[in-house]
Amino acid sequence: MTDIQQTVYVVEDDEAVRDSLELLLKSDGKLVKTYENAAVFLKDYSEKMAGCIVLDIRMPGMDGMELQKKLNEKHSILPIIFVTGHGDVPMAVDAMKEGAVDFIQKPYREEALLEKIEAALEQDLEQRKTLDEKQEIVRRIKSLTPREHEIMDRMIEGQANKVIAIELEISQRTVEIHRSRVMHKMGTHSLAHLVRMVLSVKNLIDAR
Amino acid sequence: MTEVVSENAEVTVLLVDDNPQNLKVLYETLKDKGYRLLIANEGEKALDLALRHQPEVILLDIMMPEMDGYEVCQRLKADPATSDCAVVFLSALDDLQAKVKGFSLGGADYISKPFQSLEVIARVKTHARVIRLERELQARNRELQNDQTRILNSISEGIYGLDERGTIEFANPAAAVIMRCPVESLIGRNFFDTHFSTAAECPAGLPVHATCSQGIAENQRDIRMQRTDETGFPAEYRSTPKHDGDELHGAVVVFRDITIELENERALDEARELVQEQRDQLAHTSRLTTMGEMAAGVAHEVNQPLTAIANYARVSKRMMSIENPNLTLLQETLDKIEAQSHRASEIIRRIRRFVKKPATGKEVLSVSALLEDTRQFAEVDARNNDGAIELIVPADLPDILADPVQVQQVALNLIRNALEATRSAESDSPVEVSARVTADGNVRVEVRDYGIGLAEDAEEKLFLPFYTTKDEGMGIGLPTCRSLIQAQGGEIGFERPGDGGACFFFTLPVAGAAGTTSCPSSDEGAV
Repeated sequence: MTDIQQTVYVVEDDEAVRDSLELLLKSDGKLVKTYENAAVFLKDYSEKMAGCIVLDIRMPGMDGMELQKKLNEKHSILPIIFVTGHGDVPMAVDAMKEGAVDFIQKPYREEALLEKIEAALEQDLEQRKTLDEKQEIVRRIKSLTPREHEIMDRMIEGQANKVIAIELEISQRTVEIHRSRVMHKMGTHSLAHLVRMVLSVKNLIDAR
Repeated sequence: MTEVVSENAEVTVLLVDDNPQNLKVLYETLKDKGYRLLIANEGEKALDLALRHQPEVILLDIMMPEMDGYEVCQRLKADPATSDCAVVFLSALDDLQAKVKGFSLGGADYISKPFQSLEVIARVKTHARVIRLERELQARNRELQNDQTRILNSISEGIYGLDERGTIEFANPAAAVIMRCPVESLIGRNFFDTHFSTAAECPAGLPVHATCSQGIAENQRDIRMQRTDETGFPAEYRSTPKHDGDELHGAVVVFRDITIELENERALDEARELVQEQRDQLAHTSRLTTMGEMAAGVAHEVNQPLTAIANYARVSKRMMSIENPNLTLLQETLDKIEAQSHRASEIIRRIRRFVKKPATGKEVLSVSALLEDTRQFAEVDARNNDGAIELIVPADLPDILADPVQVQQVALNLIRNALEATRSAESDSPVEVSARVTADGNVRVEVRDYGIGLAEDAEEKLFLPFYTTKDEGMGIGLPTCRSLIQAQGGEIGFERPGDGGACFFFTLPVAGAAGTTSCPSSDEGAV
């Protein structure tokens, strides 16, 4: 699942910069896709995109910052490296607050850009991995029966088997069977691990 | 008129005879004829009365004791105060000798005794009238002469009358003041020798010489004249020949010292130069300000090709580092590097040309080329600020005669203002830049926007120095534009279009209207 091909998406209005950047990144062995403006990229965007965006902050029409906002609205997790001009540091700071991973001033040294791209791709990978893991946990939680789910919630709250049995008016033995099924379905042997897993996807479950 | 003169003005007649009987007869004859009559019975008395009353006519007896009539007449004629009266001798002696003597002594007439009263009346009347007229004539002459002298004296220009060899025959007081010596010491000197140190070597080429010798009028300014003390001064003169019929009689020279005038002119020229310099300076400052405002856009514009060049260069290196590099691809990439470096230098060139100082002066310019260049320049700003510029110039527009840098400065200023107004109004309409020929044969350039429009009091304030509606403005843009356009012989102004926004315009004279040779505007792109 983690071996999706990562692509560097270049959004840049200047033809020469776009063309040269494409050649450069390709010569470094990257997959590259270029867009001449933000609108074209937005149209092409899908959740399945993996990699990072190299985004010119100043463009006619929709500028880089606007595109970032639109992507945030779509819960995109693609890391963005903003390419800024000389006097654009305040804009870049705003972009960082909005979640951009980095920015680089034009004209840049190739090493610096590639470093930042590598870091962004790495981050994308991490995020994607974490996202995959979380989705796995959610999938496992979903496989529990309502009774198992209820018992897991009480386990996480730290209730002992005896307490659970009394409150649910079932036998302690039945609680023990459910409990072992929960541990099995969630793929763990430790209560501490279970707690951590459920907490890590708490927001995802609540969102549903 | 003579009748009027003799009747209205009182005429005095002096009667001189030692014989009381004769005096009585003369008196009776002339009384009631409108004369003032004076009587003397001897020579001394007659002279005394004549001196005091200056009679027009004196009837003078020749044969008198003590001083006879001849002597009285002689003495009357000798005194200028009485010399003009008409002496009519009274004589019984009807001989030629006496009459001739009387005339030779200045007598005007004679009457033989015994008198015929009608004759006495007739002769007195005639002589009275003649004297009266003569006196009036003299008075007039004196008046005229006085006028003339007054004029010559009061004129601040020096006046010389020269003979044909250049001898000064006349000089007015102003000439003496200018030459710093009395009039008398100028008279008789030679004009050329006195006022020109080179007179001895070659008088022929000197000022006024041709007027004196050939009768050719001259008029020259800023010649050097010398005074008798050998100090010199710059002068302007006019010389006109004096003619008597066909004959040349020298020249009249009117001249003045123009030292102060020249100084004033120099000061004025300097002041003008200073104003021009300051206008250029202000224009230059304004261009630098504009460039400062555009700095972010310009940096962005220059960074684009530089970034591309760096990228291509790195790609080229990579290509070369592998075995059997693809030379065609490498060639292509290097070509791209070259193109991008041209692009960067074009931007720099445009900036350098724009901030150049001082302005290059007037040239024959193609309006469309100039406006296209300006549009590209302004687009640096437009890209930065998200605006568009539309250029509408007819193909057959005539060339203009103007300073390219300054016209571009004005156009750029107006376009940038228009872009800003458009942005403030959050409008998507492009700024329209158009040009056309006006009815009076000028080229009119219009910059039209659909932005926020102009303030109510724009008419009074817009072109005032240091008036600005922008937070960071200095308020020198439009005043500078106006002074630049006026210096090119054009006009600048604005209109409020009915459908909103603003329209600024300026006019410039068409080249070739005054026979300017047509040459294409400077070799674009040859840098």
